[in-house]
Amino acid sequence: MTPRVLDVLVVGGGATGAALLRDLSMRGARCLLVDKGDFGTGTSGRNHGLLHSGARYVVKDEISALQCARENAVLSRVAAPAIEPTGGLFVATPDDPPDYADGFAAACARAGVACREIEPAEALRREPALRPDLRRAFAVSDGAIDPWALIELNLRSAVHYGGEALAYHRLVGLQLANGRIVGAELADVRSGSTFRVAPRMVVNAAGPWAGRVAALAGAEVTLTLGKGALIVLDRRPVDSVVARCHPPSDGDALVPVHTVAILGTSSVTVHDPDRYAISPAEIAHLMALGDQLVPSFSASRVLRAYAGVRPLYLPRLDELQPRERAGLAADPAAAEALAAGRIDSRRLTRAHRVLDHGPRDGIANLVSIVGGKLTTCRLMAEETADTVAAKLGLGTPCRTADEPMGGADGGRPYWLGHRLAEREVAGGGDADLVCECELVSAGDIERFLDERWPCSLDDLRRGTRLGMGPCQGAFCTFRAAARVGERAGGRAATATGERGLLVAAGGPSPVEIGRVADGPEPPEPGDGPIGPALVDAALVGFLEERFRGVRPVAWGRQLQEAWFEAGVYLGVLGVDALVVDGQRPCLPEDGRAEL
Amino acid sequence: MPSCDVLVAGAGLAGLTTALAAADGGASVWLVAKGHAATHWSHGGLDLAAPPGTVGGGEGVALLARRPGHPYEIVAEDLPAGLARVRRALDAAGLAYEGDLASPHGRIPTAVGATRPAGVLPGAQAAARAPWRPGEGLLVVGFERFRDFAAPAVAASLARPLPWAGAPRPERVTAVGVTLPGLAERRNLDGLDLARAFDDPSWRGPALDAIARAVEPHRGDGELRVAFPAVLGLADHPAVAAALDARLGGPWFEIPLVPPSVPGLRLYEAMVAALRAARVAVQVGFAVSAAIRTPDGRVAGLATAAAGRPFPIRAGQVVLATGGFASGGLVATADGRVEEPILGLPVEAPPQPAWLAPSMFDPAGHPLEAAGIRTDRKLRPVGPTGERAERGVRIAGALLAGARALRERSGDGIAIASGERAARLALARTVGALAVPSGPVAAGPAAGPEGRGAR
Repeated sequence: MTPRVLDVLVVGGGATGAALLRDLSMRGARCLLVDKGDFGTGTSGRNHGLLHSGARYVVKDEISALQCARENAVLSRVAAPAIEPTGGLFVATPDDPPDYADGFAAACARAGVACREIEPAEALRREPALRPDLRRAFAVSDGAIDPWALIELNLRSAVHYGGEALAYHRLVGLQLANGRIVGAELADVRSGSTFRVAPRMVVNAAGPWAGRVAALAGAEVTLTLGKGALIVLDRRPVDSVVARCHPPSDGDALVPVHTVAILGTSSVTVHDPDRYAISPAEIAHLMALGDQLVPSFSASRVLRAYAGVRPLYLPRLDELQPRERAGLAADPAAAEALAAGRIDSRRLTRAHRVLDHGPRDGIANLVSIVGGKLTTCRLMAEETADTVAAKLGLGTPCRTADEPMGGADGGRPYWLGHRLAEREVAGGGDADLVCECELVSAGDIERFLDERWPCSLDDLRRGTRLGMGPCQGAFCTFRAAARVGERAGGRAATATGERGLLVAAGGPSPVEIGRVADGPEPPEPGDGPIGPALVDAALVGFLEERFRGVRPVAWGRQLQEAWFEAGVYLGVLGVDALVVDGQRPCLPEDGRAEL
Repeated sequence: MPSCDVLVAGAGLAGLTTALAAADGGASVWLVAKGHAATHWSHGGLDLAAPPGTVGGGEGVALLARRPGHPYEIVAEDLPAGLARVRRALDAAGLAYEGDLASPHGRIPTAVGATRPAGVLPGAQAAARAPWRPGEGLLVVGFERFRDFAAPAVAASLARPLPWAGAPRPERVTAVGVTLPGLAERRNLDGLDLARAFDDPSWRGPALDAIARAVEPHRGDGELRVAFPAVLGLADHPAVAAALDARLGGPWFEIPLVPPSVPGLRLYEAMVAALRAARVAVQVGFAVSAAIRTPDGRVAGLATAAAGRPFPIRAGQVVLATGGFASGGLVATADGRVEEPILGLPVEAPPQPAWLAPSMFDPAGHPLEAAGIRTDRKLRPVGPTGERAERGVRIAGALLAGARALRERSGDGIAIASGERAARLALARTVGALAVPSGPVAAGPAAGPEGRGAR
């Protein structure tokens, strides 16, 4: 069969890939995005969810600071439903170097990052749980961002403009001829079947896996992977993002996210983006750092721990910008390394980079986007799309900063009580709760399944926050699995046409966007990939995933909860009878628990 | 200050059994507990022991009793008497159980369409264990608007060989949904809401009619067994069961659900009724905080608190049946310690990095499950080198070290056997009750409204 012709294949369904799909689709390109897992399961879904004001970077990395400040304003406008504008506080404690605060305030002024010093007493009125002996406090415009909601907004907008996105599809091979990619082979990781597309351009937005994607085209992209571990509290001791006024280091921000708060991160270099664990020492360290900000911190209940990897691009010597070269030369150790032909990655900017593999590696139609931050994902996409559009001869400019996403009520950011307000609507047509902690209704679940079936409960969690509250799935897993089971049993016949694809919303009838001309036929209902076996996998997989995040913080009340949950799921429900060796699809590797 | 012969802390199966056995033996007994225990989230059956490779509870108990350090090594001999005592109490409340140590573990369906091994079961679950005959089918009945039991998914799963692990299974499995009267507009119904609805005779009649009508078309040529979510009445469950027998005219059984567990609540209420009949003072909501001691340091009672006030209780013998981690009898700390919070007893536990296996479903269970209080053969707590750690106290139930109860399915048996043993040994030290009868003794005059405990 003839492979389908595309303008652009985007590899990687994180925040950047999704924003890029939107950007290019708005410019009129025919684009397909693929991710080997669910959207937002890599670095995008494994961080604080911090919408930076730029203040964190003003002292060391002015470029990043400026980009963050600008993008903070842009995202607050165009991606409001994914953002809680909490505001932020940088606080100087007696444990912080006293002179940093002066330099910090001056650097904010210099960089144009909004920052207002307030009395410590005022900071404590705003956030009474903070330690009472604050020396200084600065109000900034940090906020919280829900990465999965942001990705969904981008994908929905992209679909509206004709883009397509396929979860659980891995790029397994690239065919090159005469210095161009002429074909891409994609594998449906759930069915195992493969098919080909013929893209005019390929964009590598694979984050920590960017080196592997580039290698498929024979190009070398070197990344330094910094693992960051984070812990989740069962409450919001603060309602603003709180950061320490000291040079960026471990545990430097506490971010209120929906009903919980997240503290992180540690930073440990790792070598494999699929395999890393969280050490007890990291957890102990984070707990101690939490106590330095909020005295009651270690007495609180920690729900889980998770970790992600920051992919920091290590440029080749000939790619160093003059500014970077000067920065390295200014540091004795880095200068020495540079003289020997090596680059000290600790001295590099966190800013992103668009790599055009045409001039760089002789692959005319491959572009990589590397580095960067969640806050700047739209800007990264814009710069990448500019490069791609130029190569495709598209003259249309970027419009992603102008057009708000999220439909008619897209102008409003979310707030802590938004779920409760929805549930309290009179009549409550879909108010049967599946997840009480996060107020996820049966209607929420059914709407997600309508679009994404078949999917795992973990996919459902990213889409709805199912199981992300204090009980970590003890009650909702059972109910949600039953909903999946009803689809698998009673409604399998209607589900066979859909294959875990995002479909367009808003049109008179949903438009399926994953139909690929020579794609595999969906499996028959029954005890195959769609059927009770899927429910087993959903149930077992979700319980395992939740357990994985609880395990590093299993003490006190959370261990009690885990024991209770085991008593119910093993003792009463006998779930162990459904565990089949090797049957845990769609699960991250060891240590890669998510929020 | 009230005083009694035997003071039991903990209202789980271990504490309930201890109190009942002590009262049956003629002691004055108080039972105090911070709150409800595992009965309220368990399945209501009695898991004696079903370690892999065993076919019956007796064999399972014998196997575990040979494992050095396992609680059954000490208490297995007390299980038959304890089990008989508990069965008598349940019978008296109209909650007859079936099966004993000689019964094979049948595999019975669960509410996620899996199966679990089960030996001793309440009457309403017992039909699930009968061998499946050739041609026999299973009909799973669900109730509309009830989110905790999805009959179609349960049936779809049970129609496969996988969940049955090689055990005999029904030839066909189907599901049917029943709309119960007056519930169409209800939201977030749980099992207790439905159980209380079934307790109401005026609602029950039409509801059972609707059920019978829905089941009828599924009767074909072969035999049919019918499964329901375990919500068929709480206080009036025997009447609901009898009415359902009459309506269906064939075998049926209940499948236990996620908490709140209706079968577990029935078990608890039946045991508490037996305790009250035996004049035990049962006080739930009394958090125990510390020991009362004699001048030479022996434990002579417990300091509890209720309604914000200290409430000390003096006792000749104290039995601690406060449970494991799930019930708060054991507490793990962030820095890797495992504590017994009431008396600060020495706890035997693995080092923290080895607490939990990487997989929730590790077939060997988690090392931390075995954590608990090590005792001598008289269930008195001992330290790491076997020295007596405390005087005047015995330990029963999940607080004991050495079991991986979840995987062994031994928790109820250990609770009953250790409760029976703790009571027997406590009675032996209690003035006036040196002999331990296996059944209730003639009740003496009541000391007051709280029973003879409050003297």
